[in-house]
Amino acid sequence: MSTAERAPELPRSSGISYQQLLDTDTHPVPKILREESPPSLPPTFVPIERYVTQEYHDLEMKMLWSRVWQFACREEEIPEVGDHVVYDIGDFTILVARDEKGQINAFHNVCRHRGRQLREYGGRVSEFRCPFHRWTWNLDGTLKEIPCRWDFPHVDRDANRLPSVRVGTWGGFVFINLDPDCQPLEDFLGDLSRHFEKWPLENKYKAAHVARVMGCNWKVAQEAFMEAYHVVATHPQLMASIGDANSQYDVWENFSRAITPNGTPSPHLNWQPTQQEQLDNLTGRNVDGPPLMQLPDGMGARELMAQAARMQMQAVVPGIHEISDAELNDSFYYSVFPNFHPWAAFNRIVYRFRPLGNDPNKSLMECLYLEPFRGKRPKPAEITWLTEEDDWTAATELGFLARVFNQDTFNLPKVQKGLRARHAAGGGTVPLANYEEAKIRHFYHLYEKWMGLST
Amino acid sequence: MPKLEHPLTRGIYESREDGRVQVTEDGKTGVFDLDGRWHSGELRQADPHMILWVGGAAAGGGMLSAGAPMRGGTPRPNVPPKLKTTSRRRGGMDADPHSTGRSSEMDLGLDGKKALVTAATRGIGLAIAQELADAGVDVAICARSAGGLESAKKDLEARGVKVYTAVADVGDGDAIRGFVQAAGEALGGLDIVVCNASGGSAMGDAGWQGNFDVDLMGSARAVEAATPLLSDSDAGAIVFISSTAALEFLGVPQPYNAIKAALIAHAADLSQALASRGIRVNTVSPGPIFFEGGNWEMIKNAMPAIYDRALGQCAIGRMGTPEEVARAVTFLASPAASLITGANLVVDGGFTKRVAY
Repeated sequence: MSTAERAPELPRSSGISYQQLLDTDTHPVPKILREESPPSLPPTFVPIERYVTQEYHDLEMKMLWSRVWQFACREEEIPEVGDHVVYDIGDFTILVARDEKGQINAFHNVCRHRGRQLREYGGRVSEFRCPFHRWTWNLDGTLKEIPCRWDFPHVDRDANRLPSVRVGTWGGFVFINLDPDCQPLEDFLGDLSRHFEKWPLENKYKAAHVARVMGCNWKVAQEAFMEAYHVVATHPQLMASIGDANSQYDVWENFSRAITPNGTPSPHLNWQPTQQEQLDNLTGRNVDGPPLMQLPDGMGARELMAQAARMQMQAVVPGIHEISDAELNDSFYYSVFPNFHPWAAFNRIVYRFRPLGNDPNKSLMECLYLEPFRGKRPKPAEITWLTEEDDWTAATELGFLARVFNQDTFNLPKVQKGLRARHAAGGGTVPLANYEEAKIRHFYHLYEKWMGLST
Repeated sequence: MPKLEHPLTRGIYESREDGRVQVTEDGKTGVFDLDGRWHSGELRQADPHMILWVGGAAAGGGMLSAGAPMRGGTPRPNVPPKLKTTSRRRGGMDADPHSTGRSSEMDLGLDGKKALVTAATRGIGLAIAQELADAGVDVAICARSAGGLESAKKDLEARGVKVYTAVADVGDGDAIRGFVQAAGEALGGLDIVVCNASGGSAMGDAGWQGNFDVDLMGSARAVEAATPLLSDSDAGAIVFISSTAALEFLGVPQPYNAIKAALIAHAADLSQALASRGIRVNTVSPGPIFFEGGNWEMIKNAMPAIYDRALGQCAIGRMGTPEEVARAVTFLASPAASLITGANLVVDGGFTKRVAY
């Protein structure tokens, strides 16, 4: 997968390329959209046991989750001294808190006496006090008080501070790493800041946060959101105005990017929608309904949708009238290894996927909306927790995207069932598309390194 | 009921009253449950995601409503009147060579007064400042950027009055209060305050916050800061600029609409509370106002269907001009309107249809 070698280019869709689409923009486009780093061969085959066995889950806990940078929360969720959140992964439970100096620290969230979990949920406190025997720690993790101290001459104060966990911040997110010898977060993220330079995530606020239990492995869930190939069957209603098969995929060191344009017809269609038909598709018009917006002569759907977006956002985003059609129409979805998926430009989405407890057949999917704001920073949204039985539309804050998620979720438990069935029948591998599933290929390339599976 | 065409098969997916989805493809029809299970008909296989989508739309409402049908009809020839715009310099008669010494027109009593107008470098705000200046009123205006203030200042000073300008973000409490103070000092008092600044029409939390901060809090704070100064005037007057968007549904719920309605209620309360201090408080609610560089010009270019629909709703056959709104504001702000307080004057060319009791 090295991009240093000039490997032969992989075959692509016959539809218009994203770079050609950028050439038609009515505004100058950001340089970062012109940078490419396409995937190369050899093809990737993923052994099915990675998705369905306890063995792989346990190996991931040992080799991945206990060593890799993962985001625990947003900085804006812990603005004041004493604010804290609890982040759980597998058996680990981590406390992320802001101390009196305003610094963010993270610790293992366990009392050093008889092991009770210290905090069960976030909030604001002045100290961390165990509800069992009242052992107390300061906000910086140093030991403050043991009732009946005289009974513990064998307990050393310094040795019984809350064990630290490494903390790093990027784009308004607080990351933790359970490996004290890990490389710094900035090194791990590499060039990522340059990609988000124009649309810094730290300048947005968390307007929505929905978490839902999924009936499948965290990787099965995550991979459904790392490619546009599935639109043809899973979101067919979008096809008159989405560049699914001709999306652009790029892979870098620890992150990758997919770009799926809207306001351009799918290469799968055997008919050519007019610009008006594409606009109608983008605005969800019914077959026999009147058009919501009529395109003036010579104006395309992409241009009009961008104009409407500029009008909407002018009160909140300075310089909105210089922003390109591309940034206002298209989906730029990044994946940062292993499980962090921030979207760029003006799309609000951030995804996170985690195993649920220690069950390889269940996971937690989260969707955050990050939005620009003017003046005082609004309070970040509370998390809406959905169970496996809940429809995504129960979280009204997601808007129409909830119905799109329903379509993805319709498939996922059946994927898990099918993979388990194949595994029971002797196993096998999942062959990934060379180009369109490049982000998933790139994930496994890194996964194998971290898990000690590469040869 | 939602009805979609499958982009690949061109089959029609239609949601039914009973919650099922009917699919018609190649002349055959099938009925399916929301989970994709076939129920009846000849067509036995259809795309389950299309079924989910169409059925889900029926359950949860469509993405966007198409809005009211366009109203037809030729606009009647209605042209805004050309009224005298000669500035009445201090002293009254000097500027009008045809004056007989006695005016047969209503004297608004504004000569020599001092007014503050927020967001007055373009559109309705500027027109209000210009109309007041023509009536002999010294004006203090603010805006978020210095560029617009420079040209507005030149324009207003040429009408023969004193002008104070300052850069201020009306959504910032300290800034608006500071501006009111400074304006009072610069002009030597205040008789009139016109709250015209608006935070735009964004949606979501940011939209709510923007309108709350600028439209509502900007006005509430300006009034608070100006009340001591206005109490010292013999003709204190406050005018809030609301909108017909607060009075009738336009097709999309917007924070702007609700917040503009709040302004009308607040003005009515203030009119009672401040009456004993000799301060009158009224609201003007403009309908669609067309001017170069304004929203309706942009909508006319980009979304003619929406523009035409709004235009069609104007009973007089045209949208309004900033000057027409400015004249209504000027009248209400003037001593000639001495008995009018707590009123909401709708200036919309018959755009709204309700009877305004």
